Amino acid sequence: MLAQLLVSGIAQGAIYALVALAMTVIYRATTVVNFGHGDLLMAGAFSVYVFVVLLGIPYLVAAGLGLLLLFVFGYLVQRQLIQPMLDGPHLALAMMAIAVGFALRGIARIYWGREVLPFPRIFPADVYVLGDVVVTSGNLIVTGVALTLMLVLFAVFYLSPVGKLAQAVFQSARGAALVGINVPRFYSIAWGVGAAMAALGGILIAPMTFLYPDMSVWILIRGFAAMTLGGFGSLHGAVVGGLLLGVMELLLGAYVSSSLIEITSYLVIILVLLFRPAGLFGQRQVVRV
Amino acid sequence: MTDGRVSTALPGRGRRMLADRRWLYVLPLLALAIPFFVNDYIQYIVNLTLIYILVGVGFNVLIGNLGQLAFANAAFFGLGAYTTGILMYHLNLPFWLALLPGGIVAAIAGAIISLPALRGIRLFYLAIVTLAFGELLRWTYIHVESLTLGSMGLHVPRPSVFGYDLTSEAGKFVVFLVVVVVALQATANLLRSRVGRAFMAIKNNEHAAASVGVPTSLYFVLAFAWSGLVVGLGGGLYAAHVRLVAPEAFNLMALIMHFAIVMVGGLGNLAGGVIGAIIVTGTPELVRAWPGMLELFLAIPIIVILMFLPKGLVSLLCRPLPMLQESYHRP
Repeated sequence: MLAQLLVSGIAQGAIYALVALAMTVIYRATTVVNFGHGDLLMAGAFSVYVFVVLLGIPYLVAAGLGLLLLFVFGYLVQRQLIQPMLDGPHLALAMMAIAVGFALRGIARIYWGREVLPFPRIFPADVYVLGDVVVTSGNLIVTGVALTLMLVLFAVFYLSPVGKLAQAVFQSARGAALVGINVPRFYSIAWGVGAAMAALGGILIAPMTFLYPDMSVWILIRGFAAMTLGGFGSLHGAVVGGLLLGVMELLLGAYVSSSLIEITSYLVIILVLLFRPAGLFGQRQVVRV
Repeated sequence: MTDGRVSTALPGRGRRMLADRRWLYVLPLLALAIPFFVNDYIQYIVNLTLIYILVGVGFNVLIGNLGQLAFANAAFFGLGAYTTGILMYHLNLPFWLALLPGGIVAAIAGAIISLPALRGIRLFYLAIVTLAFGELLRWTYIHVESLTLGSMGLHVPRPSVFGYDLTSEAGKFVVFLVVVVVALQATANLLRSRVGRAFMAIKNNEHAAASVGVPTSLYFVLAFAWSGLVVGLGGGLYAAHVRLVAPEAFNLMALIMHFAIVMVGGLGNLAGGVIGAIIVTGTPELVRAWPGMLELFLAIPIIVILMFLPKGLVSLLCRPLPMLQESYHRP
């Protein structure tokens, strides 16, 4: 029982980790928290759905197209809508991301209303049994992708020249601009990458959770909880936070009450921010007066 | 920053007269004529507008005047509605006695929600934690079924004031109008007092404000509680007006609508909350038939306003009607 819960929890947590990783990339690169991330994920999943089911494009091509589409969308949103807000109050930034996401949800709802759609799966729905622990191929693939992505992002942020760039821009956008880095362009690309990662998350998550225009709220809160728990801006924090959150949800659900599954992430956010705002691995950036 | 101090160069005599805020008292008197001209359905929407005026004005205190990313507004609204609704449903209290407790409970919730802010949590962190608080409350409404009757919602009995049943929409309108005028006047007084100036100082530079001796923590609690009080009163009116208090009415969709009210009307301007409510309230009714349109009709105005008119529609009206301008000190 416990072993099964742990395994399932990790598989569930891998989804959250994937979401939190994409949000962390945008945060690390631009110091902006994307409140519309859940909707980007939904948009990515829906665009792949349209490509595969309605247009009959082969799955892998469709997935590639979906990622590309979301990259361009994220790039353009940052460039046209977020960049002009950067000098304004933080509220304007948050509002802009929320409004863009909300508009996406509206567009999805025009066509799909309150439908819940099954999402085509690329991988066979195999089930593996190890002792009394059951694992599905979906679990394995999502966990694998989350971990791989974390390693790739580690390499990008810590080993490649792009990482140095990101570090410079994160620490001081003005300083980075002074030494010749094209900061707005860097921001736009980071949003593009973040949006493409959201699409990837959507493609992987939708086969397990179904596809519906309102999936974004659920996803966004879980992503925030994973980021908060792991520490804002930390890549491994996002992954560890996501996995822990998944395990916690299932343990609380199984041993205390199944209605707690829904609010585990809210409680995590509130308790962590109250008692340890830096999370597990984050740097303490909270300003005191 | 020039918040509210956009000077009117060479104020002529007529202009100075127009800047007199007492002109605004004419508006509620004019509004009293509305019931004579509209049918019950329109009157219902007008009453709803009065409710959303409180929502917008209360929300504006936190995000506009104090400048904090506090996203718990739907929670305050829900607490007000549920408190009033529960008192009327379970204890059979008349509406006029049940209204104020709704505001007070929401005010207490506001003070509690300000705790993370006092711990130094700001910006996106504050937004996330307040968002989580709101969702947690919504979960509570669903699961404390003995009080809230769960997701089916609470059917509130007919409201009455001093023994008179408010059977007509027009009757509700007059009562709501009185509540709104009192709450707005109180908020205006608060914002134009030392307290309001402290809010502005905190918004512009919290450290500077603290360093010149503004007790910032105190004003944080006060702003959150006041915002809770005004929005909670709006929630109480909502319970009496719609007479169905269900968790779905206080979800993120509701929050975005509150945002749209404040942004479209004008951030940090009392009249902005009013104008925003007048424009936004009818939207859900207009587009009810088309799924997805409500989202677009709320999101696109927010985007356009953010891009081209960050101070909202009220900034367009300030020039011809200078009495709408916020002035925090006597000229």
